[in-house]
Amino acid sequence: MIENENIASVNLPDSDLVKKLQRTKTPVSINFELTARCNNNCRHCYINLPENNTDAESLELDINEIEDLADQAVNNGVLWCLLTGGEPLLRDDFSEIYLMLRRKGLLVSVFTNACLINETHVKLFKKYKPRELEVTVYGITEKTYEKVSGIKGSYKLFKNGLDRLLTNDIPVSLKAMAIHSNIHEIENIADFCSKHSKKKFKFDPFLHKRYDGDEKRNKKILSERLNKDEIVKIEQNNFARKNALIKSCDQLIFYQDIDASGRVFTCGVLKNGFEISYDGKLRLCPALLHPDYVYSLRIFSLMDAYRKIAENIIKARSYNEDFLNKCNKCKIINLCYFCPANSFLETGKLDTPIDTFCKNAHARQKAILEWKKSSSLS
Amino acid sequence: MKIDIINKYYKNKDVIVREIEGEYLMIPIASGIGDMEDEMYTLNETGIATWEKLSSEKTLETVIDELCEEYDANKQEITTDVIGLIEELFKRKIVLC
Repeated sequence: MIENENIASVNLPDSDLVKKLQRTKTPVSINFELTARCNNNCRHCYINLPENNTDAESLELDINEIEDLADQAVNNGVLWCLLTGGEPLLRDDFSEIYLMLRRKGLLVSVFTNACLINETHVKLFKKYKPRELEVTVYGITEKTYEKVSGIKGSYKLFKNGLDRLLTNDIPVSLKAMAIHSNIHEIENIADFCSKHSKKKFKFDPFLHKRYDGDEKRNKKILSERLNKDEIVKIEQNNFARKNALIKSCDQLIFYQDIDASGRVFTCGVLKNGFEISYDGKLRLCPALLHPDYVYSLRIFSLMDAYRKIAENIIKARSYNEDFLNKCNKCKIINLCYFCPANSFLETGKLDTPIDTFCKNAHARQKAILEWKKSSSLS
Repeated sequence: MKIDIINKYYKNKDVIVREIEGEYLMIPIASGIGDMEDEMYTLNETGIATWEKLSSEKTLETVIDELCEEYDANKQEITTDVIGLIEELFKRKIVLC
């Protein structure tokens, strides 16, 4: 407890400062996709390129470019920073980048598959703890893990990396993608994650299509997507997820149609972070790849690019009757994977309703209302 | 440890202070600084004025004299204020001696 009026401790997410920053409507976080390359070759991944892909490597932002962008972000009040990929630890200069960002007063989180965690990373994370270290668990048996990761020997590397973190008391959050290749052990994955991490286990059944549009890889992704019944089943079987859905039912299911008046973006994208791709492009949502919303930071400053994208987002209107009559007024849009970014990835247009997403959302709506009814009865 | 104004107190290089929207946010970045991991602090005007003057090159007494000159304030009041602040920062390893 501090006993001096000149200093006060602060819990940042609930602070007046963050509320003030959020009112200014400029992002409070910056996410660097340090590389598109990965040591794994996961079947469901929207971005991974082989680790020895020299073309992709040559396009990656170097540490000086990253520092310049971080300075611009810090000068605009950005507080949080996420390092992701691909696999960010593939970069030889990962430790330098991480420490440089920490030294600017950014609160840095890292997403990793943990396979490449070595003693240097352990030393770094022990002394300079990340805000969050999120590790994805693809399976908890060698067979399942490697079926997903596509790399022989990767399960052992994952286990070793995770053990290194845990035995050194570095807190991790564990999460999973729920896909056809691991759905049979998703409950065991959940148990494993809860056993090894105090943080809440998260899983996600939605798979983005490839950012590079690779058709062969998109076929694999589609084959891994769960259908509506499978999604409902895993949500039903996960106590925390089911309860969260019941609790937030009123925010997920509106009582009447909404009126978005033809606006394409109703998703709060302007409140997201600055999303920086490995090759130095700004997006305001990582999946929003339509050229009107992507600006090169090798040409524009961070704030100039942000303003241009924000202007385009605010003025975007749809004239597609199908969209206007369905998604644009849908009362369960918050339960649906539809958003302009996903629509563009799926169809090449920002405002095309997607039948499968619609069916999934309706199945989830039906299930959540039933769960809510039974929970209020009991 | 009692704070003595003849000692030189200096900033821990693993603590970053940022000014955001007119507020001063103190962010310890290394483990073992602050009360608990990730805890952050805000400083008021006196707090930041004191922080900015701390250096391994000068005693706390010099810092107090400089503050008195700058703020044209009662030395006893400023001394009490500064010692109280340094006590809090020193026990959290935010400043070193």
